[in-house]
Amino acid sequence: MSAPKDLRDAIERDLRPTRPLRSPWVRALVLTPLAVAIVLSVPGLRFFRSDMSAIGFVKAWGFSFGQAFAGLVIVAVALRESIPGRGLSRGAIVATVAIGLAIPVALLAVTASAFDVGPAPGQALEEGIGCFRVSAISAIPALVAAAFLAARAFPTRPALAGALYGLGCGLIADAGLRLFCEYTVPSHVLFGHAGAIVAAMAFGAIVAKITRPR
Amino acid sequence: MQGYLDGRIEAFDALYAAFAGRLRGYLLSQCRDATLADDLLQETFMQIHRSRRTYQPGRPVTPWVYAIARNVYLMKRRSAGRRMRFEEALAADSRTSDGSRDALGTIAEGDAVRRALREVPPDQRQALLMHHVEGWSFVEIATRLGIRVNAAKTRAFRGMKKMREHLK
Repeated sequence: MSAPKDLRDAIERDLRPTRPLRSPWVRALVLTPLAVAIVLSVPGLRFFRSDMSAIGFVKAWGFSFGQAFAGLVIVAVALRESIPGRGLSRGAIVATVAIGLAIPVALLAVTASAFDVGPAPGQALEEGIGCFRVSAISAIPALVAAAFLAARAFPTRPALAGALYGLGCGLIADAGLRLFCEYTVPSHVLFGHAGAIVAAMAFGAIVAKITRPR
Repeated sequence: MQGYLDGRIEAFDALYAAFAGRLRGYLLSQCRDATLADDLLQETFMQIHRSRRTYQPGRPVTPWVYAIARNVYLMKRRSAGRRMRFEEALAADSRTSDGSRDALGTIAEGDAVRRALREVPPDQRQALLMHHVEGWSFVEIATRLGIRVNAAKTRAFRGMKKMREHLK
């Protein structure tokens, strides 16, 4: 079976040597300097949490960079999802999202000694919005870079790929936020921290729908 | 596949020979329309060509090719659904407005549109009509005209802009 002439001619006109994309893991590593910059700049441009010395180096810096690394792994998973024929199974998707959302919760549980440290009375909403805004804004540079990397492939389920890299970028931003915010009350953590990660997922899904190759 | 990535047309021929039959069967099983399956097959190979850098050397070609074919079919189904909804809305609109519309006004409007269309450069007019009148997707237009998808969008957009300017 040979190709129709018009198709073959159209292909031949456009045919030139093409370098295949690198593996998703290698491409996700491109975001490493950006992830490090985000983790450092969130507290660096404002202030560090007051109990940095009390929680220790590993629980502060180690866990934050661990969470940022997990974010990069999820971005790599999203980049893999963006390659035709390498889409994730339903189980893998559920597991990735569940693990991604569980990481900051688990790190908070290990780091905090009590879950009653919160904003001053009457400041809860303002402080919650503050953390949400810092986290969401910090995720944007990584999200834009991840969107560019994913759009260079051919995501057949763009909203899913976008939600996944949004989750990864949200985790990276939250890794910086946990060095800046010491509040542990569930209402603040759920709204200001987890809410921002979920918002990054939603934003990623929208961005991916818009930037998908047509 | 490596030969195709290196830019050799014979490698494309080999890829086509290896997959066209199976892909056509797959697309036919999905859409149950032989003519449409042929169109989709052609579109699938155009998409394979555009996405060829996403193929990772050393990995099996079959899942990659089928994932693209499935996506082409789903996009077609989605755009056909959109087109059908648009046509239904248009038909409903014309049914409701037929009674009240002044016939002379309609003719004058039609003349104005035709005159404005004549002012649009031919390449832009073609893309504009294919998209807005015939309901083709930009991927379909790009495939048909042998241009990039973004070029098809730009042509239709500029054509529409020029037409609006002339209609003012």
